[in-house]
Amino acid sequence: MTARKSGSRLETEIERCRSEGQWDKIPELVRQLSAKLISNDDLGELLLGEAKLQQYLKENPIKQGTSPKVPRPRLAEVRKHLSAALDLKPDYMQEASLLMAKLCYVEGDYMEALSHYTRINLDDIQLVGAPVYRLSMIAEAYATKGLCLEKLPAASPSMSNRTVDRDQEIITCYEKSGDIALLYLQEMEKALSAGIQNRSPKPGPVSQEQELGYFLETGLQRAHIIHFKNGNLTCGVGRFREILRAVETRTTQNLRMTIARQLAEILLRGMCEQSYWSPLEDPPPQSPLDDPLCPSSYSRDYTLSRRPRMYSGENLFCPQENTEEALLLLLISESMANRDAVLSRIPEHNNDRVISLQSASVVYDLLTIALGRRGQYEMLSECLERAMKFAFEEFHLWYQLALSLMAAGKSARAVKVLKECIRLKPDDPTLPLLAVKLCIGNLHWLEEGERFAKMVLHMDEKAAEFRAKGYLAIGLVYSLKATDASLRGTQEEYQKKALGSFQRAQSLSPTDHLAAFYLALQLAVSRQIPEALGYVRQALQLQGDDVHSLHLLALLLSAQKHYHDALNIIEMALSEYPENFMLLFTKVKLETLCRGPEEALLTCKHMLQIWKSCYNLTNPSDSGRGSSLLDRAIADRRQLNAMTLPDFSDPETGRILSLSLFCFSPPPQRMCVCACSVHATSIAASRVEQALSEVASSLQSSAPKQGPLHPWMTLAQIWLHAAEVYIGMLKPAEATACTQEAASLFPMSHNVLFMKGQVAELRGNMEDAKRWYEEALSISPTHVRSMQRLGLILHQLQRYSLAEKVLRDAVQVNSTAHDVWNSLGEVLQAQGHDAAATECFLTALELEASSPVLPFTIIPRML
Amino acid sequence: MLGMDQGVLEEWLSEFKALPETAVSSYAASLKVKASLVPAIYRVIRENYSDLLEPVCHQLFEFYRSGESCLQWFTLQFLPELVWSYLSVSAGRDPHCSGCVEALLLGIYNLEIVDKDGQSKILSFAIPSLSKPSVYHEPSTIGSMALTEGALANHGLSRVVYSGPHLQRETFTAQNRFEVLTFLLLCYNASLSYMTNSSLQSLCQLSSRVCICGYPRQQVRRYKGINSRMMVTSEFLVQLITGIHFALCNGESELGARALDDVLYRAQLELYPEALLVGNAIKSTLHGAALKANKEGTRSIQVEITPTSSRISRNAVTSLSIRGHRWKRHDAVDLGSPEELMEISEVDEGICTQVGAPGSSPPAIVVSVAGDVTASGGGKPSGKGLWRLAGSRSSKDKEGSGGTAGEPLSRKQPGGRAMSENLELLSLKRLTLTSSQSLPKSGALSLSRTAGAVFSRSFEQVSNALVAAAAGGGVQAAPGHAPRENRASACSLQDEGLAYAEHLSASGQHHQCSPSISLLAPDA
Repeated sequence: MTARKSGSRLETEIERCRSEGQWDKIPELVRQLSAKLISNDDLGELLLGEAKLQQYLKENPIKQGTSPKVPRPRLAEVRKHLSAALDLKPDYMQEASLLMAKLCYVEGDYMEALSHYTRINLDDIQLVGAPVYRLSMIAEAYATKGLCLEKLPAASPSMSNRTVDRDQEIITCYEKSGDIALLYLQEMEKALSAGIQNRSPKPGPVSQEQELGYFLETGLQRAHIIHFKNGNLTCGVGRFREILRAVETRTTQNLRMTIARQLAEILLRGMCEQSYWSPLEDPPPQSPLDDPLCPSSYSRDYTLSRRPRMYSGENLFCPQENTEEALLLLLISESMANRDAVLSRIPEHNNDRVISLQSASVVYDLLTIALGRRGQYEMLSECLERAMKFAFEEFHLWYQLALSLMAAGKSARAVKVLKECIRLKPDDPTLPLLAVKLCIGNLHWLEEGERFAKMVLHMDEKAAEFRAKGYLAIGLVYSLKATDASLRGTQEEYQKKALGSFQRAQSLSPTDHLAAFYLALQLAVSRQIPEALGYVRQALQLQGDDVHSLHLLALLLSAQKHYHDALNIIEMALSEYPENFMLLFTKVKLETLCRGPEEALLTCKHMLQIWKSCYNLTNPSDSGRGSSLLDRAIADRRQLNAMTLPDFSDPETGRILSLSLFCFSPPPQRMCVCACSVHATSIAASRVEQALSEVASSLQSSAPKQGPLHPWMTLAQIWLHAAEVYIGMLKPAEATACTQEAASLFPMSHNVLFMKGQVAELRGNMEDAKRWYEEALSISPTHVRSMQRLGLILHQLQRYSLAEKVLRDAVQVNSTAHDVWNSLGEVLQAQGHDAAATECFLTALELEASSPVLPFTIIPRML
Repeated sequence: MLGMDQGVLEEWLSEFKALPETAVSSYAASLKVKASLVPAIYRVIRENYSDLLEPVCHQLFEFYRSGESCLQWFTLQFLPELVWSYLSVSAGRDPHCSGCVEALLLGIYNLEIVDKDGQSKILSFAIPSLSKPSVYHEPSTIGSMALTEGALANHGLSRVVYSGPHLQRETFTAQNRFEVLTFLLLCYNASLSYMTNSSLQSLCQLSSRVCICGYPRQQVRRYKGINSRMMVTSEFLVQLITGIHFALCNGESELGARALDDVLYRAQLELYPEALLVGNAIKSTLHGAALKANKEGTRSIQVEITPTSSRISRNAVTSLSIRGHRWKRHDAVDLGSPEELMEISEVDEGICTQVGAPGSSPPAIVVSVAGDVTASGGGKPSGKGLWRLAGSRSSKDKEGSGGTAGEPLSRKQPGGRAMSENLELLSLKRLTLTSSQSLPKSGALSLSRTAGAVFSRSFEQVSNALVAAAAGGGVQAAPGHAPRENRASACSLQDEGLAYAEHLSASGQHHQCSPSISLLAPDA
């Protein structure tokens, strides 16, 4: 060792070559060395022996799972060199012995290998201050020892205690080997980076990636494999974590990626929240994860004088839950897998591409499992977006991205991705159906929806069970188109098409309650009340507690003027869906008709209570703050917004924008809440209708993706309903107060403005009323109720032709509004057009006979 | 009911009552030894009309209420069977409804939704972020990170609530049924490691039956029970899948695979993206593992020695290797001074960030969707612009503006994706704009009067953008070609949205860390 201190360049060079594994240079260096110093002959022997052995192993690598048995003569030369070193100088005895033992292992002589280790006593070799190459030697030695011990048959199988001890010894060998190997790699990287800075510009093949070789790989990985083989999950996980906590080096990157993925797999597949323990905690003494039959309760009982560096520092994130840890590991794994994404598409790299794709897609699947479990679809969609560089022609990745976008509410993008999925797999009926679902949802892309639905229908028999669904889908598209259409002819045409499709769906799948239900709904919309009643009953037989069917039944009964029966149905439905505001609104209407406004007011009050209990959960103790409900509401609004922030960061559907609008002044389109605006003139408006129907259904249906707006729109609606009841009771002051509450939430809502007009009318202030209605119409030009009232006021002001124009527009928008027909009749009569007036009155009469308390179209139509 | 069962159960029912409080934990351990007890309880629950059902349910609830983990797990192992019992009875609309099963389920639910102090339990977890050092990594070694909007929002750690708070429930209604059951399954899944295999089998059976009853597949599976369809929710299916996943990997591969298929079948029919997503992922990860799994042991966790060297050949172009290429090119061709180099940073995922240039938008993080320079208020292109260098077009891009710093940026061609996003964005904006513009005067007046600061500003900016675009020669049809003002205002409009979102998240953190984000080191 003294020789090294002399610092001769040659020796440093030799040391470097040894630690970097550049064995081919050694003979030349040894030649130079022996030319300089005679005393280093034995070192030369050692070096030559080592170099030859290593070179041999490099050229004939040992495969994992095989045990080498190289015939002696092959490596006779090595043995000669090493024996010479062994005999000559005690200085190099240790190293020579280690190499000799390795040679013995390679030749299949395990006993002899072990005897070499016992002779020098492995544990005595100093780690502190040891040169880098020697760390590698020691690590290999421990691994080799472990391998030898595994190879030897248990000394005395009768004593099970012995085998436990031996198992323990083997594992300890591997763990020590792994630890020292990690240390070696860290030190080497340090030396390497120092070398790059110091060394003269002479270019060398420095950056060549180090390969670990059989022994170090075994040392790093064999310990946890044995743990898992023994069914000892706790220890295996512990070992995984130790390896991962060691600061990474270039060489360990791939290992880390694999191990991180495997550990995540174990966390997701084999652990649960209750059996989890955090990486910095001690594992529980008894764990259900461990095979109860496994006898060995292994405990680590060794210490090393030097250990690999671990990640450290303040505020290190340490997972506290199995999903957290799995996610962290997967994100690390992902970042590496992503980096290795093979981008070139030339055929030579086909294999590489498959490998990089496979390793990445496993990671992405696991990420999906972890994030899906926790409902984090927003984040998932972003992760999967990163997977797209692998995704060329890969259906699975595209499909998963589409689904994640859909689950995250990014509908527009989801539809685009689904298109690509359809291209890749044109025979799968689920794909276009998912697209239709999105299109007729809040996107309101009816044209696109129709195209997708037709794709399903074109699949014919191939679509199998989905064919009925396809008809349902296209029926819904037509039905929505009919609602949107402004020409009566088109309307009727679409209604007919919709009816036909629903009938087809119903005959294809007679046990599907949805088919029967939508058929009933469509019949109801075209005012074929008795037929509709038949189908809705059928739907209810198939699915007794479907809220929409019950609601439709109640509306149908109200259309037949069986108000009491309708109310009974609503009350029955409410016993199953006590928090469904849609039902409650209908109840208010019916109660006003059957039981008088006082009852209806009680229901309004009840609604406010429900609203509070539903949306006010986070803050059970609201003392001290403002006393009016509104004050609290505003405070809660802030809370709610903060709480559900991730919901609306979807730029595609413009939610951010609309949200910012909402906060300062709600956009008018977002508020066409009320029953009467059946016609959607813009996409925005129909989106809102959809959103609103979601309010009603979200409490019941699958995805309670309640945006932050929903509670506030519901609240405003409640106030407006209360106002309407007060107007019916001829109490303008109370009605004003209620309207004001709604106005403070959505000042620009046309419904609020309409209600203000109603109040003004009640007070006899026609000028004001007219102004309010005009404002309502300026926000929502197709608000039929405002048009009707405006028409009437104009009629009173004797501006007949204008009144007629407004009312005709209203009829154009909604041809089933009987009171508009009636008003139109009155205007025409006043103008002296008696014949036309009569016709209008007759139409009104006829329509009134089949008119429900609230329009049928408040019932949401979605797949 | 066999007489033997009866005896076992009666003994079990009586002994717990007599138990002194101190002996509870040892009693819990002793339950495992009684081999005939668990099957007997299963039989009682399945039979549904047994006289013993009520006392058994009561006893199970007592176990759960004791707070002793072992006893709680004992009760939980019957949860799938209880859920099935409840669902089948309520689907059959059987007048003889098993009230005690309902009561037991609600009882467990009501116990689980509150913590020890009786406060509503809120289950949350931290979303780890690679930008924060952890016990497993150091941010600097990860290299350039995907700087998506989401990544920005999650900068630092964010805790996310995944369940709760829940309301106390006195009765089951159609409305709360699946909310309660989903939560119960969540509790069950949190204790999966402690569940016996018979419980896992029962879970798989429950999943299959709930999903196929009343559908054509029921015939395929030859299940003859009730044949009316049961409503499910997507969340409920996701919880079922989580349990099935565990069963699949822990000794019930056959039953689990079938259950997973059935759940996916139903999820397809219902068009539930969430359940499809998770189910597909599980199926795809099992694809390779299925063959070798479970020949020997119960746990199918298989680990082999993997080569540490990369299996990808060195001359293949990877995302890592391609980065170096680009850097060299830009160094050589485009960049005049090293200072500029400092300010240009590359990010992986297509969104570039910028600290708000003085005088224009509020000092929030500005994320522009379009990957080009966001110019400040209308002057020179901001020096702090970060570039998103996307693909091959970037170099051309760069030349365009690098050489002609003073000229309008209209010549630049944003890449296909950026452009389409831009288009989408603008069309969205225009949509809101046109709908407000179409208002008659009085309405517009009151609109602008009441409109809040942000709204009105963004409103103006959009109008500016449009005016500018129109002035620029009717190019607004292609926003990518629009004059600079147009793009600038369109961008800053978006800023408003973002700034607002920032504001909402109520964490000053973002603002503090914005400079550091913009300087995020390129992985040079």
